[in-house]
Amino acid sequence: MDPRTRLLLLLLAGVLAVVLEHAASLALLTLLCFVPLLLAPIGNTWRVRALTLAAAAIWTTVLSQALFYAEVPRRPLLDLGPVVLWREGVTHGLVQSLRLLSIATAGLAVVATTPLDRLLAALVALRVPFTLSFLAVTGLRFVPEVGREILVVRRARARRGRPVWQRSPARWLALEVSLLRPVVARAVRRARTMAESLDARGFDAHAPRAVRRPLQMRSWEPVLLGSAAAVTLAAVAARLLYAAYVAEVAYFPSLRPLYGFVRSWL
Amino acid sequence: MSALVLTDAAYRYPGGGGAAVGPVSLEVDTGEFVLITGPTGCGKSTLLRLAAGMLQRHGRGEVLGTVTLDGVDPGTLAPADRVSRIGFVAQEPADQVVAGTIGDEIAFGLESAGWDADRIDDRVAEVLALVGLPADPSRSPAALSGGQRQRLVVGAALAAGAQLLLLDEPIAWIDPESAVDLLKRLRGLADEGVTVVVVEHRIDAVRPYVDRVIELAPADTYTPPPAPAPAPLGDELMRGTQLRWRYGAIEALNGVDISVRAGERVALLGRNGAGKSTLLSMLAGHLGDEVTIHGSVVDVPQDPDLALFCETVRDELAYGATEARLSDAQIEARVASAAVALAIDDLLDRPPQALSRGQRLRTAAAAAMACEPTVLLLDEPTSGQDRAQVDRMMAALVGRTVVFATHDQRLVREHATRAVILEEGRVVDDGDPAEVLA
Repeated sequence: MDPRTRLLLLLLAGVLAVVLEHAASLALLTLLCFVPLLLAPIGNTWRVRALTLAAAAIWTTVLSQALFYAEVPRRPLLDLGPVVLWREGVTHGLVQSLRLLSIATAGLAVVATTPLDRLLAALVALRVPFTLSFLAVTGLRFVPEVGREILVVRRARARRGRPVWQRSPARWLALEVSLLRPVVARAVRRARTMAESLDARGFDAHAPRAVRRPLQMRSWEPVLLGSAAAVTLAAVAARLLYAAYVAEVAYFPSLRPLYGFVRSWL
Repeated sequence: MSALVLTDAAYRYPGGGGAAVGPVSLEVDTGEFVLITGPTGCGKSTLLRLAAGMLQRHGRGEVLGTVTLDGVDPGTLAPADRVSRIGFVAQEPADQVVAGTIGDEIAFGLESAGWDADRIDDRVAEVLALVGLPADPSRSPAALSGGQRQRLVVGAALAAGAQLLLLDEPIAWIDPESAVDLLKRLRGLADEGVTVVVVEHRIDAVRPYVDRVIELAPADTYTPPPAPAPAPLGDELMRGTQLRWRYGAIEALNGVDISVRAGERVALLGRNGAGKSTLLSMLAGHLGDEVTIHGSVVDVPQDPDLALFCETVRDELAYGATEARLSDAQIEARVASAAVALAIDDLLDRPPQALSRGQRLRTAAAAAMACEPTVLLLDEPTSGQDRAQVDRMMAALVGRTVVFATHDQRLVREHATRAVILEEGRVVDDGDPAEVLA
């Protein structure tokens, strides 16, 4: 799939994640966003990690919202005396977690399945300023490196000192912050080396460049994009009409089935 | 005819600091292969950046004298023109790779130079053959070995037809076989008329291939003390039996048996990817828990920056002793001893991350030594260090139990008591360095 198609689908998924407010529709969106991640050549370990993280995100958000939901009206789902789980809190938590999860999954799927140089080409083709595109793509590329480096610093420190828990919270916090010092210094050096490499290879953000592998959409991609855009626009329009009705700005009797659909499903 | 001419060229840091390099005057002829050498910190890398025109364009300091390439100041070249005339390769090849495939990496400079798309593919294939990389341009650079990655960045630097190739320590991270392969290819390029300037500490390895050696500053004159008579080995401090480790589908270690006894200085050798760093990580206890360790272990990772997390060099050296709750006098004694041993006693109040690479490496090693571990593990302790600094470091380790991974065979012959050769995750030889390396 052309990286521009992926990015535009990601954008549409983001719009839908904001527009939808019903747990069922958000769950469907999240499942759709998971599909490319499940098909991506990323190895089962990463798939299991992603699913575990997703489950943990949903569970913790739902539980915290169920416990601390403060809006009224609210109905108890489980009353344990001092601790009450609120039914509306569960729904609210589910909606919030699925909203976050759908967009995070879609973003992860795009990053995991698209070589970063193709992502850069797609961003530029979509008229995102080159400097901004390059910054974003380079930053993404080094995320795993930074994670690995933090681990190495932590190990080096552990070998030269006592375990973290054998010290005061303030000292522990100071040591945790100090972990960033070598990582940031390394990132600066890496950025400098890459900048030199780009400079030496004639890179100029403002000059036109030849393209070895031009981006090319397959014939079905515009159809897919058009369909996804139509669904998204329809959802946005339905939401706006429903909002106008609820706010008593505009009411159209002929749209009552639509109002019912939005209330029940969107 | 001289391709590159430096006349009293110098670079001074902003704020009135001392000269980073120069003044230097030299001429390099077209098709000449030149090695520039000198002690750590003498300005070799800065000189390369002057020759590439980088400091003229982006440096905040002051450029003095003149630098010309075929009569033109390289600092004034337009980007597309620059890539067609100068190829520059910095240290650490992994940080210079910008594209997702080896084909796109080679093509990057060609795209900058505005080549037609249909000519780019042909040129990519030519360059891949020239530097001896797999013909499939869709392969990821991450799948390449260290030596192959170095050849990739060299190929990317000269793809657009650069006639001057500037390389900063191109063999520092690669094994001897890969180094020989790269140097032969550079020699071949020079024979075809490309001017090649290399900065390198491994002089003996590069000298046979170059036309001329330029010493930028007199070498450090450290003379190591005579080696003490070999002491009988002490008790076994570490043992690993049938050590195995996988990174996804890649088997990094495949049944390694190793034991280390007190007083040994064990060198781990092998090609890039043979499993040296993985074995060190297992010995350090970072990977798995199969290694039996009697006593304490401190390791210095391949990238010394990641072992430096304190505000000053003094704090860095004192960290281990402070954590061990020693008295102030004991801490100060350990700091002073490690700092003098590794010649960083004049750097104690400076931030470690502001030092040169060689100085950072010595600081990390000194910080590890100051912990006085039972076993010290060092991953590539010689990269970025001149010979005198390497000898100084190894002399400071005499009497300690050390395991180190290296590509430097001279270091092994002169300073190790035992050499272990790894190949594809297995030990293929283990014994006296002179016999193993014969």
